[in-house]
Order: sequence, then C-alpha cells, then structure tokens
Amino acid sequence: MKNKQLKTKPSSAAPYSKAHEKYLKRLRNDKIFVLSFQILILVLIIGLWELLAATNVIDPFFVSSPSRVFNMFISMVENGTIWRHIGITLLETLVGFAIATLGGTLIAILLWWNKRLRRILEPYIVVLNSLPKIALGPIIILWVGSGMSAIITMCVLICIVLTTISMLNAFNSCDADKIQLMKSMHANKFQIFWKLILPNATSEFISVLKINVGMSWVGTIMGEYLSSSAGLGYLIVYGSQIFNINLVMTSTVLLCILAALMYLAICLIEKWHSR
Amino acid sequence: MSTLLEFKDVNFFYQTKDAEIHALKDLNFTVDKESFASIVGPSGCGKTTILSLIAGLLKKSSGQILLNGKEIDENDSRIGYMFQRDHLFEWRNIWQNVTLGIELTKPKDADKKKEFAKSLLKKYDLYDFISSKPRALSGGMRQRVALIRTLVMEPTLLLLDEPFSALDFQTRLRVCDDVYEIIKSEKKTAVLVTHDISEAISMSNKVIVLSSRPATVKHVQMLNLNGETPLSRREDPTFGSLFDLIWKKLTNEKQTTEN
Ligand SMILES: Nc1ncnc2c1ncn2[C@@H]1O[C@H](COP(=O)(O)OP(=O)(O)OP(=O)(O)O)[C@@H](O)[C@H]1O
Ligand SMILES: [Mg+2]
Repeated sequence: MKNKQLKTKPSSAAPYSKAHEKYLKRLRNDKIFVLSFQILILVLIIGLWELLAATNVIDPFFVSSPSRVFNMFISMVENGTIWRHIGITLLETLVGFAIATLGGTLIAILLWWNKRLRRILEPYIVVLNSLPKIALGPIIILWVGSGMSAIITMCVLICIVLTTISMLNAFNSCDADKIQLMKSMHANKFQIFWKLILPNATSEFISVLKINVGMSWVGTIMGEYLSSSAGLGYLIVYGSQIFNINLVMTSTVLLCILAALMYLAICLIEKWHSR
Repeated sequence: MSTLLEFKDVNFFYQTKDAEIHALKDLNFTVDKESFASIVGPSGCGKTTILSLIAGLLKKSSGQILLNGKEIDENDSRIGYMFQRDHLFEWRNIWQNVTLGIELTKPKDADKKKEFAKSLLKKYDLYDFISSKPRALSGGMRQRVALIRTLVMEPTLLLLDEPFSALDFQTRLRVCDDVYEIIKSEKKTAVLVTHDISEAISMSNKVIVLSSRPATVKHVQMLNLNGETPLSRREDPTFGSLFDLIWKKLTNEKQTTEN
C-alpha cells in the first residue's frame, strides 16, 4: 500500500503503538475481506446467469441474460427513450418522497402542538396506517385522474402515514426534564419546539428518510403498475405484456441502481450531519 | 441577614386520574440572602415539587411563596434552576449551550451577559472547549457547564435539584467544591435538594428536614461549620454529631411511616 510510510511514521500527535497498528490493520483487512466477498457474489450471480443462459440451461426467453440486458440498455440509450422513462420515474419518486416527508413531518408537528387534536385523530391514523394503500388505487385514479398525479398520490399515501407516526413518536420521546429546563428559562412553546423538540428528533428524521427512500420507490412503481404511459414501472408491465423479458430485466436493474443511489445520498447526509 | 425566599403555609396537590396527591402540607420555611440552604427528606416527599413551585413551573394550591417579600410569578428571571442531570443539548456546542438562556429571553443587556458567560467559562477552565460538543466533556465538566448556563442569566436565587447525584463519589466531592466556590464568589443564594446528608451539612448554613409525603418541615438545623470549602468542612469536629442528629430526624420519620 502506498501509505506504508504513513503507518510507521504517523503525522498525528499520538504515535501509534504496535498493538494499535495491528488493530488498524485487522480493521482494514476485515473491510477488504467483506468488500471482496460482496463483489464476488455480484460477479458470481452475473457470471452464472450469463453462463446458464448462454448454455441454454435456463431459457433466455424467460430469464434474459446480463449481455442481453446490457445490449437492451445500450440500444435504449442510443434511441434516447431510456432517459425519458428514468426521468419520469425519478421525478415521481422524488416529488412523492419530498411531499410525504415534509407533509408527514408537518402533520406530526401539528399533532405535537395540539394534544387534543392528536387524541381525536389517533384512531384514524391507526386505521390509515394498517390499510393496504394499493387498495385505494382505483379511488385515487377516480379522484385525481390517471397518470403522474395518481402515481405521486400513491407514493405519498404509502410514505406519509408512517412518517407522521415516526416523527410524532420522536417529538414525544423528548426528555420531560429538558422541556422543564426550557420552561425554567422562560422558553415559549415555539422556542421549545424549534430549539429542543425538533433538533432532538434529527436522528429519527434521518431514519425516516431512509425508510421513505425505499417506500417511495414502492409507491411509485405500484402507481405506475396501476396507471402510466411512461416510466420504469410502465416498461416492466409493458415488457411483460409483450413478452420482452430483456426490457423487464433492464428496467428492474435500473430501478435497483437508482434506489441504491438515493439511499447512498441519504447516507451521505447522515454522515455530514454526524460529522 | 434579610430573608430572600419565604414559604408561608404552602399547600400543593397533584391532580391525577386516580387521586388527588397531597404533596406539600402547610409548608413554612425561609432562606436568607446569600445563604446556602439544603432540603433533605425521604424519597418522594415533595422536594422537587418545592423547587418547581419556586421556579414557577407549578402553581401552588394555597399559601404564599415570597421572593424579596413579593409573590413569585411565572416569568421571574431572578430564579435559576439546575437539574439532576446536566441536560446539555448534544447538538449545540458548549458556547451555544451556555448562552441558551440569552437566546431564549433576548435580554437588553445580552452583550454584557455574553461577556459574563465568557468570563465564567475562562474562570472555570472551560474556555478551551467552547466550540466542542458536550459529548467531549467529562461528567464534572458538563455539570459545571450546566451551572454556568444557569448563572449566565444572573439569577439571585439558584435552585439545585440533586445536581451531583449522577456523578461518581470522587468527582462529586470535587464538583461540589467547584459549584460551591462559584456560587459563593458570585454571591448567589442557593437552595439545594439532596439525598446526601453529609453533602447537605458540608455545603449549607441551613438544613431543612422534611417529613414524608405530604411534606411538612420536620426540623430546621442552622449550621456554622469551620472551613472554606465543603470538603474542608467535613473535617469539622461537630460534623459527625450533626450528621447523627439529622439522620435521626430523617429515619425517625421513616419508622413512623412504616408503622
Ligand atoms: N406530575 C405528577 N403527577 C402526580 N404526582 C406526582 C407528580 N410529580 C410528583 N408526584 C408525586 O408527588 C410526590 C412528590 O414528588 P417529588 O418529585 O416532589 O418528590 P421528591 O422529594 O423530589 O422525590 P425524589 O427524592 O425521588 O426526587 C411523589 O410522591 C410523587 O409521586
Ligand atoms: Mg426529586
């Protein structure tokens, strides 16, 4: 490794002892070990998939193959259609994600602020939470029309209830003594919320963000299955209807990549926050 | 010495679904200006309730609570409250924690108070940490920061609710001395609630012994021990007998409630 010199002659104030050096090395080796296995698994899956498809052990007509997926992707890039589909799905997901996260948090704030309102609405929230939102699909289409607005609505519906519940829990779990402390310093309710309750709930907010990343993709794809004329979910449904399994697989792989990237972005936010 | 704080026949009831809890019963005591008073009493007798009443966090059911001869009100900035745990906000650095009170009440002399905060931090060896987060500080340092956060608002009366109980014994003795030193040199009046009789004796001019719930004043012990610091007062020859006396007053009480 190129930082070998650094290891023996560390620039930081405290020189590393032998044991510490050993510990760091073990830590690094461990990381490399895990990462190489993760890559190995991926390579194995792709390789096996390609091999089995190429030797016709599995029928490429039903399972496609990595090279077919890749070719499909290239051809879609070449004729430019892929960007539109990715763009639309991404837009729907991001808008749904944003509305649900902000809206859910705002509702949670409202319910924290007004205890009575919370008690009144509690049973409705519980029912809404346990309701399978996909069941509302036809109603959504009837009310907001088909297409993008229906898809975003579906996405929001799926994320917002859990967001509200989680954030409300986080708000209410604030140490009562800390609130008393704020009161003893003559803080008003707004200050108590803004300077204590809200910052106290940031770690919960980040885990809500993480959950919502996954849920908003679920919502969007579900919405696209229900009614759409473009998007990755649309491509999957369309592809399966015309028995173009390559199209289905390509869209699915793209979905995986997009969802992973979005999750990564949240992790970066988290890292930045905890510095 | 003149009286700063006076409780006159104060009663307090907690209202709960199952019952009305009589927490304080005809409570009478006084605390002199610039003195240090301790309140000891069996667990759950109503000590925290007394402090909450003084701080205006609760409203008395009857009687009078006077500060400088005047009824206290909810927004009395003359009172500073220090809790059992330091309750520093982890997302704020030490400076932001210390100036929280200024931020909340936006007093006219905010700049002066900030200067005061700086001088306190310097005086008590915390100035190097002003941009650190609380998690970088030891328990004793955190407690000092919490005290400075309270002092910055320049209260005349300090309420301390078992501020040392979360610390280990050695740190506790040291922080006790620190806090005492700070309170004395800033010329504050303090009311300390504690479970620890020796802590009460070593720090105060007056120990108020409460009965179990509903709390009434069982005994008031005036003290005048030799020694500049709480730690040195523990060496006073009368310390042991005073301890016994107060302990008896407390445990007597416990036996009668058990019967
Ligand atoms: N919010 C409340 N509602 C109902 N009862 C309460 C409430 N707070 C305290 N009490 C009751 O009032 C009594 C006095 O409580 P308080 O907290 O003042 O006791 P304490 O002397 O500070 O106890 P400890 O030594 O454990 O800190 C207790 O018996 C407690 O159960
Ligand atoms: Mg208490």
